[in-house]
Amino acid sequence: MISDILGVFARPEFPTLLRQHIVLSVVALLIAIVIALPVALLIRNTRVGAAIAINIGNVGRAVPSLAILALLLPFLGIGFWTALVALAVLAIPPILINASTGLREVDKGIIDAARGMGLSGSQILARIQLPIAAPVIFAGIKTSAVQTVASATLATFIGGGGLGDLIVLGLQRRGPEILLAGAFSVAVLAIITEVGFGFLESAFTPKGLKIAQKRRGK
Amino acid sequence: MIEFSHVSKTYPGSNDPVVNDLSFEVPEGEICVLVGPSGCGKTTSMRMVNRLIEITEGEILIDGEPNTSMSGTQLRRKIGYAIQQIGLFPHRTIADNIGTVPNLLGWDKNRIKGRVDELLDLVGLAPDDYRDRYPAELSGGQQQRVGVARALAADPPIMLMDEPFGAVDPITRDRLQDEFLNIQDDIRKTIVFVTHDIDEAIKMGNKIAILKQGGVLAQYDTPENILARPNSEFVSSFVGGDRVLKRLSLTRVGEMDLEPANGGTDDLLRISGGLSVKDALSELIGSGHSRAVVEGEGENGLLTFAAIENLMGGASGQVTNDGETSA
Amino acid sequence: MSNPALLLLQDVLEEPKLIDWEWLRENFWEDIVPAFQGHIFLSFISVAVALLIALPIGILSARYRKVYPPVTFVTGILYSIPSLALFAILISIPAVGLGPTPVIIALVAYSLLILIRNTVAGLDSVPPETIDAARGMGLTNRQILFRVELPLALPIIVAGVRIATVTIIGIATIGAYISGGGLGALIFDGINRQFPTMIIAGAVLATAMAIIADLLLLGLERYLRPWARARKA
Repeated sequence: MISDILGVFARPEFPTLLRQHIVLSVVALLIAIVIALPVALLIRNTRVGAAIAINIGNVGRAVPSLAILALLLPFLGIGFWTALVALAVLAIPPILINASTGLREVDKGIIDAARGMGLSGSQILARIQLPIAAPVIFAGIKTSAVQTVASATLATFIGGGGLGDLIVLGLQRRGPEILLAGAFSVAVLAIITEVGFGFLESAFTPKGLKIAQKRRGK
Repeated sequence: MIEFSHVSKTYPGSNDPVVNDLSFEVPEGEICVLVGPSGCGKTTSMRMVNRLIEITEGEILIDGEPNTSMSGTQLRRKIGYAIQQIGLFPHRTIADNIGTVPNLLGWDKNRIKGRVDELLDLVGLAPDDYRDRYPAELSGGQQQRVGVARALAADPPIMLMDEPFGAVDPITRDRLQDEFLNIQDDIRKTIVFVTHDIDEAIKMGNKIAILKQGGVLAQYDTPENILARPNSEFVSSFVGGDRVLKRLSLTRVGEMDLEPANGGTDDLLRISGGLSVKDALSELIGSGHSRAVVEGEGENGLLTFAAIENLMGGASGQVTNDGETSA
Repeated sequence: MSNPALLLLQDVLEEPKLIDWEWLRENFWEDIVPAFQGHIFLSFISVAVALLIALPIGILSARYRKVYPPVTFVTGILYSIPSLALFAILISIPAVGLGPTPVIIALVAYSLLILIRNTVAGLDSVPPETIDAARGMGLTNRQILFRVELPLALPIIVAGVRIATVTIIGIATIGAYISGGGLGALIFDGINRQFPTMIIAGAVLATAMAIIADLLLLGLERYLRPWARARKA
């Protein structure tokens, strides 16, 4: 059985599907970041804006992935681009929520001190708020990335390709080795994403904040 | 020199001013303490000096120039700012924190480094030990010292301090106050200092501005004068029913004009000249005698109740509303 | 006054190719209701079973901290496996096969991490002084757990239940692909038959169920935590 599974990886379709899956996930995540981060920056000082963003984010997080993918189908047709749009939309909420709360929860005393010392608004954003909020923002990106890789498996249902194709193929042709090869490759990809972004999160956490976290016993 | 000239602040949508026609002058090199109950506008007034809050009416002049003559950001880089929450940047080292304003002003790296070390020494933190640490590694008292150092970094002539020693325990606060007064003896900054604690105001201030609810100036004078001649019921009750005793704490018993202590004093209590008159009085009462010997430089003096009364200039001033005193 | 967005919505709603209201009316009881009921069944059972497993493990992990990291590790791995993949793995096991069973197993597996984590966090949030006072008053450990710790931990635990429920409702849609039933059946059927009405019906209903569950549980969470009611979501 193991050799059968390994045999699937050797087939020419596998690299293609893997590439499709990665491209879908990466591009969707990038689009989501490009949309969510600027919005979070814009609303960082307004209470109403932040409340709206958080509520949109919370609702967005509740929406089933398959539902979005399927809903776009009648309007945008099948294929890669529909899947991309759906995945990008799904990837926005965690980033939006984390970026908004992260920026707004920077200690007010620190911001007052910075303002009082003569830092301009953009200096405060760049030198104080963003570095301090960075761990939370990256946690949001990590959550979104893992979620996107998982949801990209569903792209197969609307003809978007990706490793989900393997799983579906295995189910249709009753080929357990194809099924399991697909399942394992997606699982491994998801875990690699989680671990990889975990490293990024750590890399972008300023040293002073890590010390503070340790002191608080986190 | 800082001058408040008929300064008022009313927030939009509200009819009542939070600061009302405030006028006073802070002489150069002196500490002026703004003190009063919650809602008296003391913090708002302070924050109008560096324009964190904008004035609605009147103006604030710094060395004769209105503080609106340059942008808010530029103004603030010339004014030291130390607040109760301290607000150290947790993601930067102590050295980076202290060097923030010099960095903004474009000083070169070596000059900044030298200044950081100088300031750490000044506030009693060994530079080699603390320069590269992070705020989370420091205790509350140490953080507060760094906060003061950071405010002094660019050597601004003026400083604004809002309960800068508020976040620590009373013993540490006492020490920080003493150390800061020592530093101020050398550096002579013009300081606006906000506190809610009348005792801190009396200890720290060369001048005290007592504010009432609604941002009205009740009395502006030296601590001694405010204690001796409060100009209203409000000021009198704000400084406390023990204001006479508070006055006694302003002088050291060794500075008093005392009769020399001649013979026949062996059984009397000995009091150190460095004690405040208030503490000396307490010892005297506790000793069960009506006299005690004050030991200091030179001759020993004889402390009596009469001598203390003399110090207070006869009967202490009674309060009248037009500011006059009656015996 | 005509609003362009409303006009577009009207178009969509009236477009005979997109939503066949006739079909919906005719097949409401045959197709839609069973799918809806099946979905509620799947979700409810999964949340219940997950709680039955996660709460004891969570309480144990809070007490014996050494257990917590391996528990987090295992449930974390389960959580990282994409749903379709986990379904695929489960139906490969001969004893399991197709149908609601693998779906429920997978849904339970997914929610373990969040439920355990929030149980531990909830119990951690109980102030030690409170437990100390309770012990001083003579309550047994069991009494402390049920009368003091769990009630105080409830808001955070409910927060976890909320996230788990919403996730389960979402992933249950995919379960239809392996004959698990639920609203996903409408979606997949619709895709196969190229019949947008079914797709939209299934997708909209599943989304609505998820959002309503989210809001209801959020309300419960806020109700249990009156001191946080005034703050933002």
